[in-house]
Amino acid sequence: MAYSDKVVDHYNNPRNVGTLDKSSQEVGTGLVGAPECGDVMRLQIRVNPETQVIEEAKFKTFGCGSAIASSSLATEWIKGRTVEDALTIKNTDIVKELSLPPVKIHCSVLAEDAIRAAIGDWKKKNGVAETAQAAVAAK
Amino acid sequence: MLKIVDSAVPVACWSCSAAHKASALFCSNCSKIQPPPSGEYFSVFGLRPQLNLDLDALERELHRLSRRLHPDRFARASENEREWSLADTALLNDAYRTLKDPLRRTEYLLKLHGAEIGEEHAGKDRRDPSRVPPDLLEEVFDLNMQLEEMRSARQAGETDQELEKNLVEAKKKFDGLLEEVDRDLRAQWQAWDEGDQAAREAAQKTMAALLDRRRYLNNLVRDVTETLGA
Ligand code: FES
Ligand SMILES: [Zn+2]
Repeated sequence: MAYSDKVVDHYNNPRNVGTLDKSSQEVGTGLVGAPECGDVMRLQIRVNPETQVIEEAKFKTFGCGSAIASSSLATEWIKGRTVEDALTIKNTDIVKELSLPPVKIHCSVLAEDAIRAAIGDWKKKNGVAETAQAAVAAK
Repeated sequence: MLKIVDSAVPVACWSCSAAHKASALFCSNCSKIQPPPSGEYFSVFGLRPQLNLDLDALERELHRLSRRLHPDRFARASENEREWSLADTALLNDAYRTLKDPLRRTEYLLKLHGAEIGEEHAGKDRRDPSRVPPDLLEEVFDLNMQLEEMRSARQAGETDQELEKNLVEAKKKFDGLLEEVDRDLRAQWQAWDEGDQAAREAAQKTMAALLDRRRYLNNLVRDVTETLGA
């Protein structure tokens, strides 16, 4: 199966690979897995406590090219957004942007799950009430 | 989704019009070859869906049917029949490969019962907590980090004895966990084969969760083996 140019680009030059300090109050960590294939992804955000803007986002993905591209793209998209705004990102947006084929849709779902889990973790740490959607994902 | 046609529903033979099972490759009345059946794989071999399979019997049936489907036998048959002999052979081989392998057989049976399994599904039940074992995810992730560390150390021409020892230990542990999952799966096979409706549904749920777990473990063991072996 051929990857789209955008997937290849993110795969070869992944943006925002790395680790944030998990114990920091401002950092939310989401660790998620795709039961479909057994790949794992960690996405972390650092949120400005005043503005609730995501100022930094890092990821680490052990998985297929589409999962790496999806998480790379996800970190690009959420940076500079407020947490509430970041929660509006849907896996279908990622599918469209990266032209993922049907068998790779679950890779984008993994990235959406990771965003929600990271934000859920940050909210829990900071006593922010969870929105209904984020509550489901953070479980 | 798999198309599931109840193979007990009879269809009419194209040649003699006698009713036969939708999974039959040959008419039981006139013995003529039939178009590729739409029923499930087990019944192609004349079996009930079950997880503990007699593999020798399966293979014998494969050979028996393969011989009957052999293209040479249809050299003088109608064009339809010649095509069917090829299509039926392909289907028979797919069915055999699926049923012979214990994991594929289990996945197949679960799919027959509506489970969303495999890469083509961004499963709607994926947020079911039983599908996401958090402690396992942590462990898998940490080990992947260590593997990466080891690979980059090696690229730099160094060996980190401590790290390598850790990984060898971890591999042992995860090999053991894999074996455990496989044992648990076999126990569930039994529960499914012998159970009533309720027992089967419970077994299906457990098996789907075990297969999820197995995928994470399997990836990890594969990567550790690759890295350590390199
Ligand atoms: S193949 Fe599973 S995350 Fe891409
Ligand atoms: Zn007939």
